[in-house]
Amino acid sequence: MILEGFKEAIALLFSLDREIYSIIGLSLAISLLATLSGGLLGIVFGIFLSISKFPGKRMVKKIIFTFMGVPPVVLGLIVLLVLAGPLSNLNLLFTRTAMYLAQTLLVFPIVTGNIIISSEKTQQQIIATATTLGASKKHQLLLLFTETKPFILLSLILGFSRAISEVGAIMLVGGNIRGETRVMTTYIALNTSMGNYAASIAMGTILLLLAFMIHTIIAKFRGDFYD
Amino acid sequence: MIKLENVKTSYPNFSIVYPNVTFAKHKITFVTGKNGVGKTSLLKAIAGLIPYEGSIDYQGFATYHFQEPILFNRSVYENIIYPIKIRKLPIENYQANLMDYAKVLGIHELLSRPAKALSSGEKMKVSMLRSILFLPDILLLDEPTTHLDLESIEQLVALIKQLKSKITFIIVSHNKAFIESLQDATYALGGHHVYR
Repeated sequence: MILEGFKEAIALLFSLDREIYSIIGLSLAISLLATLSGGLLGIVFGIFLSISKFPGKRMVKKIIFTFMGVPPVVLGLIVLLVLAGPLSNLNLLFTRTAMYLAQTLLVFPIVTGNIIISSEKTQQQIIATATTLGASKKHQLLLLFTETKPFILLSLILGFSRAISEVGAIMLVGGNIRGETRVMTTYIALNTSMGNYAASIAMGTILLLLAFMIHTIIAKFRGDFYD
Repeated sequence: MIKLENVKTSYPNFSIVYPNVTFAKHKITFVTGKNGVGKTSLLKAIAGLIPYEGSIDYQGFATYHFQEPILFNRSVYENIIYPIKIRKLPIENYQANLMDYAKVLGIHELLSRPAKALSSGEKMKVSMLRSILFLPDILLLDEPTTHLDLESIEQLVALIKQLKSKITFIIVSHNKAFIESLQDATYALGGHHVYR
C-alpha cells in the first residue's frame, strides 16, 4: 500500500490535475503568507521581549511559551468562535482569510518564543557591547538584526513548518471546502477518513518533498545549522 | 578625571556603597577587593550600563570592556573598526594605529579571519583592540587578563603603557604581576555592603 502511495504521488504530481495543483498552491500560499505576517510580528515582539525590561515581562513570556504549545485545534476553535460571534458580520468563516488568520496566530508565538529561547542572552550581550562602544539606538538595532539573523531564520523555519503541517485549526475555520479552502493536510485527513490511504500517502509524500525543497532553498542562505 | 560622590548601586537584597574618590586623568588605577564587593558594578556604573545613586562626573566617553567579550559575526578587522565606522570617522586615519596596536598584541595576522573562529585569548585581544582603537577618554577593563597566556599579558601591558598618555584606565584584576607592572593607584573596595 505504501509503495502504491508513492507511485500515486508521482502520478499525482505529473497528472496535470488542476485540483491537485490548486491544493498545493493554496497550502504554500497561505503558509508562506502566515509565516511572513506572523513571523514579522514574532521577530519584532521576540526582540522587544528579549531586550526590554518592564513589569510583567515574565508573565508575558509565560503566555507566549504556553501558546507555543497550544493544540492548533484549540486555537482554531477560538478563531472560529470569534469569527462566528463578534466578527460574524465580516463573513470570514470558512474562507481562506480565516485560514490565514488562524495560521498567523499559530506562527506568531512559535517565532516570538523561539527568538527568546534561542537568543535572549545573546541579544542582551550584543546591546550591552554596542552601548559600551558608543553605538546609537539605530546602530544597536541594526547590529542586533545582523547578529541574530541565524536565530531569526531558524525561528521562521519553525514557524513555516508549523503552518504547512497544520490541519486542526484550518479544518475548523476553513471547512475543507473543495476548490475553496482545501489544502494538502485537510486533503490527507479527508482521504484517510474515507479509506483512500494511497491518495493520503501520495499527498503526504508531496508535502514532505515540498518541505525538503524549502529547507534546501533556505540552506543556501544559511547553511550552518544544517552541518 | 573621574569623580565619584556618594555612589550606591542597588540589588534585590543589598546595596553597595562606594567610598568617594577621584580617579586621576591618564593614570592607571586598579580597583581591588574580594569577589562580590562590587568591582564590576562600579565599572558598569561609570559606563552608564547600570543604574546608581549619587554622582559620577567625568568628561568624554567611557567604554567598558567585558570580562567575557562578545565579538560580532564578521571579520576581525570589521570588528575592530566597528566603533570607528559607527562614528563615521575616516578609517584611513586609524589604519597605522590599527596595525601598530595589532602587532603589539600579536594579532596582526588574524585581521582577515572570521572573529567567531578565534580562540578565547585571541578574542579577548581583538575585543580589547576594538575598545582601544577609537581612543575613548576612559577605558574600564574588567579582568582583562582572563584567557590570556603570559606572553599575551606582557603584550597587553606593553599596549596599555603605550596608550597611557591618551586614555585613563580603570582596571579590575586579580593578577598580581599584571597589577604591579602597571598600577599608578589603587582603589580598594570592601565592607560597604548594606543588607536589607
